[in-house]
Amino acid sequence: MSKHVLIVEDEPNIVESLSFLLERAGFEVSSEPDGAMAMDRIGALKPDLIILDVMLPNRSGFDILRDLGELAEAPHVLMLTAKGQARDRQTAEAIGVTRFMTKPFANAEIIKAVQEMLA
Amino acid sequence: MPHSLTGTRIRQQRGRAGLSQTALARLVGISTSYLNLIEHNKRGIAGKILLSIARELGVPPSTLTEGADSELTTALLEAASAAPDHAAETFALAEFAGRFPGWSQLLASVYRQNRDQEAVISALSDRLTHDPFLAESLHLMLSNITAIRSTAEILTSIEDISTEQRNRFDVAIHEESRRLSDATEALIKYFDKETTQNEPSEAPDELSESDATSMPLESFLVRALASNYNPSILATEYHTTLHAVFRRLASLKRSGMDAPEMGLIITNAAGQTLHRHALSDFPLPRHGNACPLWPVFQGFSQPERPLQDLIELPGGAQFVTLTIALPRAVTTFGEPPDYQSAMLFVPLDQSPWLKTSQPARDVGISCRICPRENCAARSEETVL
Repeated sequence: MSKHVLIVEDEPNIVESLSFLLERAGFEVSSEPDGAMAMDRIGALKPDLIILDVMLPNRSGFDILRDLGELAEAPHVLMLTAKGQARDRQTAEAIGVTRFMTKPFANAEIIKAVQEMLA
Repeated sequence: MPHSLTGTRIRQQRGRAGLSQTALARLVGISTSYLNLIEHNKRGIAGKILLSIARELGVPPSTLTEGADSELTTALLEAASAAPDHAAETFALAEFAGRFPGWSQLLASVYRQNRDQEAVISALSDRLTHDPFLAESLHLMLSNITAIRSTAEILTSIEDISTEQRNRFDVAIHEESRRLSDATEALIKYFDKETTQNEPSEAPDELSESDATSMPLESFLVRALASNYNPSILATEYHTTLHAVFRRLASLKRSGMDAPEMGLIITNAAGQTLHRHALSDFPLPRHGNACPLWPVFQGFSQPERPLQDLIELPGGAQFVTLTIALPRAVTTFGEPPDYQSAMLFVPLDQSPWLKTSQPARDVGISCRICPRENCAARSEETVL
């Protein structure tokens, strides 16, 4: 059974390319553009990994991370941060994220990261 | 123990008078070692001994206690503290200012210019990090670039893509390129506007036009005299705020009126100075770093309550202060009020207001040049 990846990102063209790449790599892919809806989707889909953007409409990626910390079985999180925003990275690390991908990223890098995290 | 540069001035005047330390000590009736401590600012001096020394040196006591302009002294001390590696001889500061007034002014002026420019750079840097428009624009541009890069990489590196999918990617690149172009244009416009409209400025000490119009100088002075410079009475008579009256009172002496010289500082809750009028014996730092014990900051803990205090600076100068924190605009339910605190201050010997019975509260100018030991409010080491 293929692993499930949820992309929480509000930029539709990034979602389009990531979905294309992840599906080709054999993953089942869903997406959610609204920060406020993310936790409901996570609860319903129970993904194995979440690709999570920091700046989202209605609710930030950090807030979602904090809620994930409350779950008994939290999925893996690959955080998307902007290049040069060291502060974002520090905040995410403090909440418990260990894997980051900075925008703009190379396709091969993000697919490799997801594969390693779900191996 | 009051710390001042009086000892340095005594040493300077003694040299001019051609007296040895031993000779002056004998004339005044104190030991040479005690005079030596005084001259090195390690012992405070006042009262009879000060008067005796001044008499023997043939100078008025004020020459020994006032010396160089305190604003200049403050600037030089700040300059020394800003570059501790040079170990500037702060103990000889009054001597330096007295012997080389031109060089001292030049050094103080260059230091102030440098400090002000650093503050501007720091503010601009802070702005680049925290400005919501810039943060949003940069995030948008990075998202555009990410989408273009990822999509272009797919199109150039993967061959077996359906025509329908390829068309969607083509449209995506076109859309993202247009958005990137729009975002770049908006950013350029923003910076163009900033450079022409938003030159950083110092906190003004000039009276606003509306204050000047609503409280005409001549009639205001008459009413101020009649009310014994009572701000509450004046605010009621002119139907204005106490802060507006404070600004008018602080402008009287500058306008050439025969009135007590009053200083004024108005700050917001972040400590940013919005209005400043310093007195020669009470210099005000231009960019933050002021003594947190000033009543103007205490005002925020008791908003809208009028506070009257007597404070004493390290040199011994005492000032009566009137302070009140008021909301900047009409307060709105559900919104936090934006308070500004104003402190009007006048030297004790010129104060028109009733003296408070409480003893003077010790305060400083800013920690770096404050000699007070064991101050709980200290935030950085002194250079003294």
